[in-house]
Amino acid sequence: MTGQAFFVLTALADGPKHGYSIVGEVADLSQQRVKLKIGGLYGVLDRLAAEGLIEPDREEPHNGRLRRYFRLTTDGRRALAEEAELRAATARVVRLRLGLTGAQVTG
Amino acid sequence: MSGNLERRCRRVLRLLPGWYREQWQEDMVAAFLEGWLTGDPAADEFISRAAGPGFAETASVAGLAVRLHLTGAGAPRRHFAWRQAIRRAVLAVMLAHAVLGFNEFMRTAWSQRLLRLPAPPANLITASPSGAWLTLYCLVAVAWIVVFVTLVLRRYRTAHIVAAMTVLTSLVALLRAPSTRVMPAPFGSWAYWVLLELVPVLAMTAFHRAAPAPPRRPWLLALPVGWLLVCAPLLVVEWTGNFAWVPDLPGLCCLVVALACLAQAPRAWSRQGGDSGVWSLALALLAAVAAANRIATISGFLHDPHMIGVSLVELLILLVAVALVAPDAARAPTATPAPPRHPHPVTA
Repeated sequence: MTGQAFFVLTALADGPKHGYSIVGEVADLSQQRVKLKIGGLYGVLDRLAAEGLIEPDREEPHNGRLRRYFRLTTDGRRALAEEAELRAATARVVRLRLGLTGAQVTG
Repeated sequence: MSGNLERRCRRVLRLLPGWYREQWQEDMVAAFLEGWLTGDPAADEFISRAAGPGFAETASVAGLAVRLHLTGAGAPRRHFAWRQAIRRAVLAVMLAHAVLGFNEFMRTAWSQRLLRLPAPPANLITASPSGAWLTLYCLVAVAWIVVFVTLVLRRYRTAHIVAAMTVLTSLVALLRAPSTRVMPAPFGSWAYWVLLELVPVLAMTAFHRAAPAPPRRPWLLALPVGWLLVCAPLLVVEWTGNFAWVPDLPGLCCLVVALACLAQAPRAWSRQGGDSGVWSLALALLAAVAAANRIATISGFLHDPHMIGVSLVELLILLVAVALVAPDAARAPTATPAPPRHPHPVTA
């Protein structure tokens, strides 16, 4: 799973979101390291939908335009949980090998 | 208020395929504008006049456009069937190159006594070049095999690089031919280079990580089977001294495609559905290339009415054979199974 896909799935983990709110959420989650551009965002949404990990939820009018919301599917939720577990395990190994504690990492 | 900004955004989105814009444009414009506009009328007025999609934004849309155009992922059936047919036709051309490359490599190696085999019969010894040309000759033959195998194994970057280098090598050989008067096979005429090397290699861009993968085993098996079914019988014919019965390469292409059409005909006529139509469409594309190559090379027989007659018969055979699968090919765009799943607009 790519970093972008991981962040998009994480952004959708607590409920359906529309395009721009996904961009903002991903930027926040990644501490501004991942700034999705419009083509990149819809490229990721395309691929995740093709893999059955997300699906359209609803459309809502906003400022005269329709916002399209996306939500995680059951498969998406499972894939995200597995990826999070993998990344957490990897992070634990990295900390051990570098001899770091949680405080040192964040501090 | 956001008119100018929106117009600039829509201009960039025109890079995307029409079917994709129809589905996503409004959503993309909304997401883009929300990223720029603040809700403050004065600030938004200024932004609308001064701002627009920057390089990174445009590049991201261009990247998405390239992926969608090349792979057809998520495209309507019509587009997807065409891209699938192109991918199969390209694979078939690369298979032909690989089979011929293997054949030429083995014959050259045998003739040059590079293999630990008894000397070949006198009528099977090929007039191979020597020195640097021999090395190039063998390299190009092997390179096509590498291109085919890497394409089937989805090592697309390797396939693209090796194919580009091989096509350029062929081009150098073609350009040098008038001065060196050396034109060793598998280098062919300009028509051959354009139709069977350059165009298929350019069309290889249709192979992409997001495109459906070709089934490995059948395609890889097709390499030895193709040699056994096409090259081995021709070797036997040559061995028996009946050179007159061995068609030239354009003629061989016409006959092989015609035979493939005949093999596909029962499936095409039974209307089994599935992806039969895509195969028929791919064969129709191959037939067009083979016919164009045959027609372009007829000029070489201007003083040989017999060969012109033979060429016309080959074309006629190809035409009749492709007519058998043409109706199925025409149905393919609408009858092909749906492309990979894609988020459709909700109709709430």
